Amino acid sequence: MAKIKKRGESGAAKNYITRTQALKKLQISLSDFRRLCILKGIYPREPTNKKKANKGSSAPASFYYSKDILYLLHEPLLAKFREHKTFAKKLARALGRGEWALAKGLEERKPLARLDHLVKERYPTFKQALADLNDPLSLLCLFERLPRDPVPGKTQVPHEVTAECGKLVAEWKVWAIRTHALRKVFLSIKGVYYECEVPAGRSGETVNVRWLEPWEFKQTVPADVDFRILLTFLDLYRTLTSFVLFKLYADENLVYPPELDVKLDAEGEGIGRFKLVERAPDATAAAPTVEGDKERKITKKDVKKSIRSIAHSSAATGGMQVDEDEEDALIKDEPSAEEEFTYHPSKNETDASDPSNAPLPTYTSLLTAPSSSGNSHDDKAYTIFSPYTFYLSRETSSRTWEFVIRAFGGKVITHPSLNQLSTTPETANSITHILLDRPMDASTMRALQGDRKWTWVQPQWVADCVNRRTVLPSGEGSGYEPGGVLPPHVSPWDEEGRDDRPWLGTEAQAAAGVAQDEEEDEDEEMQTEEGTTATAEMTSAMRAAAENPDDETLVHQAELEAEAAGTDHAVFRKQLAVAVRAAKASAPSSSKASTSTAPAGKTAAAEEDLRKIMMTGKKQRLYEKMQYSNNERRQEADKLASKRQAIEKRKKKAAK
Amino acid sequence: MPPKRSQTAPRSAGSKRNPASKATPSTAVSGKPAVKRSRDDDRDAPSHGDEVSLFAGKINGGDNGKGKKSAVTAEVEEDEDDEEFEIDTGSSNGDLEDFLDRDALESPADDEDEEDEEGDDDDEEGYNTSDIEAMENASGDEQDDFDDASSVASSSIAPSTMPDSNLTLDQLIARHSYKPDENFDIHVSQATGGRPLVGDALTGKFSNAKEGTGKLVPSKFVKGAMMREYDDIEAGYGSESSTEENTNTIGNVPIEWYDDLPHIGYDVSGRKIMRPAKGDELDKFLATVEDPDSWQVLSPTTAEDKLLQKQVQLSDKELDIIRRLQNAENPDADFDPYQETIEWFTGKGNEMTMPLSAAPEPKRRFVPSKWEHKKVMKIVKAIREGRIVPNRPAAEKPKVYGIWSNDDVENPPHAMYMPAPQIPPPRTVESYNPPEEYLFDEGEKREWEQQEKEDRKLDFMPQKHDALRHVPGYENFVQERFERCLDLYLAPRTRKVKLNIDPESLVPKLPSPKELRPFPTNCAVQYRHPANSRVRCVSVDARGEWVASGSEDGIVRVWDLGNGREVWRWNLKGGPVQAVEWSPNKEECILSAAVAGRIYLLAPLALISPHVAQTTLTHLNTAFSSSSASSTNNISGKPQVPDAKWVRPSEDERDRGMMVIVEVQGTPKQVTWHRKGDYFATVAVDAANKSVLIHQLSKHQTQSPFKRTKGSVQRVAFHPHKPHFFVATQRYVRIYDLVGQQLLKTLMTGLKWISSMDIHPLGDNLIVGSYDKKLCWFDLDLSTKPYKTLRYHTKALRSVAYHRAYPLFASASDDGSIHIFHGTVYTDLMQNPLIVPLKVLRGHQIKDGLGVLDLRWHPTKPWLISSGADGEVRLWSS
Repeated sequence: MAKIKKRGESGAAKNYITRTQALKKLQISLSDFRRLCILKGIYPREPTNKKKANKGSSAPASFYYSKDILYLLHEPLLAKFREHKTFAKKLARALGRGEWALAKGLEERKPLARLDHLVKERYPTFKQALADLNDPLSLLCLFERLPRDPVPGKTQVPHEVTAECGKLVAEWKVWAIRTHALRKVFLSIKGVYYECEVPAGRSGETVNVRWLEPWEFKQTVPADVDFRILLTFLDLYRTLTSFVLFKLYADENLVYPPELDVKLDAEGEGIGRFKLVERAPDATAAAPTVEGDKERKITKKDVKKSIRSIAHSSAATGGMQVDEDEEDALIKDEPSAEEEFTYHPSKNETDASDPSNAPLPTYTSLLTAPSSSGNSHDDKAYTIFSPYTFYLSRETSSRTWEFVIRAFGGKVITHPSLNQLSTTPETANSITHILLDRPMDASTMRALQGDRKWTWVQPQWVADCVNRRTVLPSGEGSGYEPGGVLPPHVSPWDEEGRDDRPWLGTEAQAAAGVAQDEEEDEDEEMQTEEGTTATAEMTSAMRAAAENPDDETLVHQAELEAEAAGTDHAVFRKQLAVAVRAAKASAPSSSKASTSTAPAGKTAAAEEDLRKIMMTGKKQRLYEKMQYSNNERRQEADKLASKRQAIEKRKKKAAK
Repeated sequence: MPPKRSQTAPRSAGSKRNPASKATPSTAVSGKPAVKRSRDDDRDAPSHGDEVSLFAGKINGGDNGKGKKSAVTAEVEEDEDDEEFEIDTGSSNGDLEDFLDRDALESPADDEDEEDEEGDDDDEEGYNTSDIEAMENASGDEQDDFDDASSVASSSIAPSTMPDSNLTLDQLIARHSYKPDENFDIHVSQATGGRPLVGDALTGKFSNAKEGTGKLVPSKFVKGAMMREYDDIEAGYGSESSTEENTNTIGNVPIEWYDDLPHIGYDVSGRKIMRPAKGDELDKFLATVEDPDSWQVLSPTTAEDKLLQKQVQLSDKELDIIRRLQNAENPDADFDPYQETIEWFTGKGNEMTMPLSAAPEPKRRFVPSKWEHKKVMKIVKAIREGRIVPNRPAAEKPKVYGIWSNDDVENPPHAMYMPAPQIPPPRTVESYNPPEEYLFDEGEKREWEQQEKEDRKLDFMPQKHDALRHVPGYENFVQERFERCLDLYLAPRTRKVKLNIDPESLVPKLPSPKELRPFPTNCAVQYRHPANSRVRCVSVDARGEWVASGSEDGIVRVWDLGNGREVWRWNLKGGPVQAVEWSPNKEECILSAAVAGRIYLLAPLALISPHVAQTTLTHLNTAFSSSSASSTNNISGKPQVPDAKWVRPSEDERDRGMMVIVEVQGTPKQVTWHRKGDYFATVAVDAANKSVLIHQLSKHQTQSPFKRTKGSVQRVAFHPHKPHFFVATQRYVRIYDLVGQQLLKTLMTGLKWISSMDIHPLGDNLIVGSYDKKLCWFDLDLSTKPYKTLRYHTKALRSVAYHRAYPLFASASDDGSIHIFHGTVYTDLMQNPLIVPLKVLRGHQIKDGLGVLDLRWHPTKPWLISSGADGEVRLWSS
């Protein structure tokens, strides 16, 4: 005989625990519990049967997986929380008594919680960490520009936090530039979306990391946004991102964190303020790495990598810089660019001239050096701007465009101002494209340009080129010239999605579509006119015949009737044709959309109808549901298409 | 010492009283031992005849009661008693003196040993209590030997009282001026004065129990043997047993229980305590006369001890206590309620010292610890040598390091692991410069604005900016990020199985209708009825040549099947024709038609061949000729109400083909023939228990097969080849065996109201149509529940029918459509029937909510005849 099961000892009753019970079990306050949940990634569950999970009560409650809570019991953070609580008490006491020395001592020995164990625990593999990097990067981007007290009188965001966020984002971008990992850029009304393809491990897997950077404006912060929660998330995200960056930099054989050039930082340089330092193969002790990395240091992969890079560099002849003597090559090849980037070319020169000095490779040189990972084909697709030098006009966001252009191999110049470019002819001569986001009349442009060959484009051109992976035409009529009417900016992720819109392909197609529509419209008009006159004198047989003109028997029937009525055969034929057209016109527009497949589709549909009779009720309902959602999607697409047609028609009329 | 030995038994008997007498001197302040003594005396007095004992008792009593008034007297009298007295007293005196001397010299701490010794001595010396003697006397005078002994013993009272006489008055006063409780302490504290008393008291208390040896005495039980007998342990003053005044151990029971007995209870050893003699009036008087103090016996200063049943003299002290209690004063005479406060801590000079302890401050309190100093110096040395660096930060882990390696493995998949869904990528709608069709028009904008925030499909309004510099900041950015964060840790997660299948895969795989031809696909012939009167019923004759229809104008028409021409008509003039049905016998041509209350048997004789006409006529008329009865027939021969009346129409009517009229109760709604064409059954729903009738044409007989029908019968049918009869009530179909006259099966249709029924020509399958839009297919071999229930009509089903030759069946409904199905029945029992929907025939118009009312298959061809509420009968052919 089976063992008698007791109530509440297995299944949902045991698997789930309400929040109140969890709090009681953990003996912590709600706010601590929340913080733990955020950091540990514990979330409430929706049990299939709430009543069973709540031991028979139907009171509303949020349920947690009870094993999650059991694991929380042994969380080192919990102990840290308690430590902090006692610390806070002691400090308050010391302050209250005016024992300043004691307070100072306490403050120095303040318990600090570290989250690195959580990173490994939540993301056992690097791939998982990358897959969950979208939210962290987006939040970091938001905090990068947040004021100290976003909601006045409430939780403050310490300056260090904002600074660290900015640093992490910049480091991430530097990495993306160096490895040419950027794939997509989308300018939305919310901000700029970027997508990077990040290598996730040895087997060549990649993870797409997408993040959203807000426009550079002051953020409006609603008063009910709880910054304590956001800051807790940020704590975790900062830790996660820094570890991910460490791994990425280590894979690129770079020292992490990259050194900050204090001078450049003070000058307000964005991404360029970091000095990327390669880890010398024997100088591991100098590089700030852990012991664990030492063994990893010279793996098979690294050896392979270095061999490949050597081969690569030897294969690349003229245009490519060679790693070994990149300094000299770089300076010879494009001194102006170098000058623009780092503002201390003279120093570099002196360094280079002194071979005993053996300078560390700088950020710029490393950036321009070809990435050792990734094959040449990819490189070509992702370095489409490599022959170009862009001048960013001051109204364009250098934060966005410097990153995008450099990630695709281009060079960027931002100084001096547009009017004074002529004063530095070397710089001016190297420029190929000017990114301008304001209307400018041709004469001014010509005056500025002089005899140089500059291409004037609006920023969207860069984004569109990036998304198409080709350099798009940018001359007059393309719409990308300053003051031109820009072509629509389309999301690069649309092809991953549901509906494709062929009319977005080329203008020609769209025009053809319009022409076709017009013809149809004319047809329709004619038909409706005739139809209204004809339908009055239709018999039922005629109507039936008109509805399915392929059905011979129906037609025959109608013919017989007409004969009985005494109408001529020719007249009858005419009438029938009119009736058929009228029937078509009266049919709903959705069927009109699929006119090409109408006759075949109709019988097929009828057949399908009959087969559905034999479905069970359950399947019938499911089928219906599916059809409903499919229909919704189709209708949405249809709606867009019809709107598009209407717009085209209107435009055409306006042109006439 | 013979007397001693002889005394052992009585001594042990009176042992309990010993302490009392012994304790007397030491506890003289408390009245109770004194009382005891006096009690003893009282008891002694009557039992003893001789003077001496009486006197002794009295003296003793007086001695105690009066507070050692007459020690000398007692001595004198005892002197008279016994010569041994001298020796005894002498020894005891010497002892005492010795004791006193020592006491004076030695510290009180040594007392105990000494007392022990004294106790021993004392015991050895003698059993010198009057109590023992008294006890002995009380227990019986039989033994003369003992008498002597007792007298000897009684004389030894003196030594115990003797020391009292030696005490100074001060000591006595001091002793009496303390509370009994304090006694001991005071004796201890008073180095000199209290000593002898204590010693005295203790000598009484401490028995020879400490010897641990006892005395060897001849055994009472074994002759010549010796047994060790221990002395009683005398309880000390503080012990419970010493304060125990109640020597009667009967406990808290009414003393009256002992009224009839010579004793009044038992002592600790279980011996009887004999009732003390109550002297009569003479005795009392004599007592008064002889004892000047005895007036008190009857005075109010006595009280009765109920347990020991005697008057107890209250001492002055006790009386004083009583008086105090009566005056609501403190019973303790020495209590001073107005004592002077001694200001120990607040008095002059003591203000701040708080001398809780007078112990001097130990040295260690103010001398620095050597060991601590050593420890500190050790640390100092370490710091100097640099082994300890104060406030050195702990070795920290680096802020970032490589936590992922190449051989990390993901956690194994778990059902409860639900990672948060990622935010889907942005669509073109979100673009700052989307194609124009994405922008909202006025209607959409209004709708978006009116919708609740949660209901919106998009959380923003699409906008188009002509240049990037015109794009404003997005004002919900922080809010959206915050909500995402909230979702990540607050939103309950669950696994939803998303069925990612092609909806077409749900549709069953069936053979194409094209492969299952022939079946009717279109309307070939229409048979129009004048005035569009509803055609309720239709039927095709057995040869497939004629179509009969019955319409609501009461006319039965016969049409030529092929060309739709009306060839015959009978006006039945009985309201709407409810049913028409051709006889299935091909050799005959009989049409049955039902109107309210009548069933007509018609034969269009002019249309048929003479041979067929002949057989038809014969069949119809034989019964008229054979029996005179053109009247009733009742199978049971019961004379009452006839089931039906067979009437022969007039000559004229017969010429027009109306051959027989059967008059029945109610309105027959259905006529159905047996396959041989002799029997036919009718159903009249409104005819109570006569609703189902089976008529036999050859005999003109009618019978009602059911005495009582369960539920109202809707339809009946004959089995195609078995003598079975199907009866469909509103919800069930019952199958009866007509031969065995029993119910075979009840089919649970699951329908609400059956409208029609047909049986497959092979007889194992059945279709049932219902007004609740459903059609059930029953496989009679399979189950009593439907094999398939199909619901495809939008309105009530009116008629269902199987084709007799082709694997087809059809259903007609009020929605104006006829569904044609392919229904193959396999001979293999394991294979289920195959049902394939083939075609929907539409053509009948819906009039007043009624569509197709009846349908019949052509007997040989795949053609269908249907009649509709629009006054049309249609032939559907392939």
